[in-house]
Amino acid sequence: MAYQWDFSPVLANAPLLAQGLANTLKVTGTALVCGVALGLVLALLRLSPRRFLSWPAGFVIEVFRTTPPLVQLFWFFFALPILVGIEMTPFVAGAVTFSIQSASFFAEVFRAGIQSIERGQWDGARAIGMRHDQALRRIILPQAVKRMIPAFMERAIELMKTTTLIATISYADLLFAANEVSQKTFRPLETYTVVALIYFVVIFLASQVARLVELRLARSGESTVH
Amino acid sequence: MRWDFASVFDNTDALLVGAVGTLRIFAICLVLGLSLGLIVGLGRYSRNRLLHIPATIFVEFFRNTPVLVQILWFYFALPILLPFQISPLAAASLGISLNSAAFSAEIYRGGIQSIETGQWDGARALGMRWGQAMRRIILPQALKRMLPALTNRAIEIFKMSTLASAVAYVELLQQGKLIASLNYNPIEAYTAVAVIFFVFLWPLVQFSYFLERRLRRDE
Repeated sequence: MAYQWDFSPVLANAPLLAQGLANTLKVTGTALVCGVALGLVLALLRLSPRRFLSWPAGFVIEVFRTTPPLVQLFWFFFALPILVGIEMTPFVAGAVTFSIQSASFFAEVFRAGIQSIERGQWDGARAIGMRHDQALRRIILPQAVKRMIPAFMERAIELMKTTTLIATISYADLLFAANEVSQKTFRPLETYTVVALIYFVVIFLASQVARLVELRLARSGESTVH
Repeated sequence: MRWDFASVFDNTDALLVGAVGTLRIFAICLVLGLSLGLIVGLGRYSRNRLLHIPATIFVEFFRNTPVLVQILWFYFALPILLPFQISPLAAASLGISLNSAAFSAEIYRGGIQSIETGQWDGARALGMRWGQAMRRIILPQALKRMLPALTNRAIEIFKMSTLASAVAYVELLQQGKLIASLNYNPIEAYTAVAVIFFVFLWPLVQFSYFLERRLRRDE
């Protein structure tokens, strides 16, 4: 006998799913803001000619790019609190993990962007009497950031997908809500299908925006880094 | 706090079982993901709408949903439609392989498109059919350009294999969880697991950097 699809029990739990989506966006937003800021700091440290600055930054970047995010999340949630003796909520553990993890990727985008700016720009800034940090802030970064926009948006979308891992430490994001609703309604097929579609709509729209921005930049003759 | 790795070393057997599980699912997803990706990539490259449209839908769907959602869908949702159960290994392999196929399809398509049309013309002038030209002329050249991107995919697949622990498949992270809960040593257990992954993946990552540098130099 063919399976009788019934979406009504899932739709009855729409508020739970909406709350889950809101929490997913909260984690993504937090990690994105912290990740970009930390990524810039890591990139600047890594580009520093002083070894005691560039080496540790390089180490952090390599470790977080090379190990699986789920292992990092478990480490921050189960191991770190014992090590430093503080309680960590699932939200904090997730936000910290995804911030550092995405920062290590953002750092490489920043680095590529900064390195893509021609030497002449540095020379020009120095010629009009700017110090290193002034040149970086006023001349180099504004130009570099424009080239980095597509890579940034791609990473931001990756970040949103990565946040689903937080459901494994019982933070009530959209995926965790799916779990809850499916156990409540005994309708795993409908629940997981609906949740997959919600993720698809949000991420697909974000990718389309990213694609449009990239096309626009390409049309204006702007070179981009990846 | 004193670090005590003895309780981890006492469980080397469990970690070994986990490592075998990780390598098994990695191998399965690598082969399935990259070969299915080639088929889908050729579909995306094709001008025939009957091939192009389904391939595009596949790629867009699997690229725009989180892989953990895909794994849980295959594990909890799909068995409702099937007359049989799906094992944790099968569910995780399906999710990771199809996800990787979608991503690698775009690598294959980009690689094939990057080959100059003159190569196609030359192959045709020698009397090769489309399939022959693709297999003997285009793909071998494209593969060289795609190698860094495909290596990165392999690294991603290795990292994604940890998600199989969400459906209780026995791999390294799952074994780490087990050791941590039996010995109350989460710090050592999870640190050990992280180090093992780093040791496995670091050479692969360095290899991908090497390939990228070589490609940039050659072009």
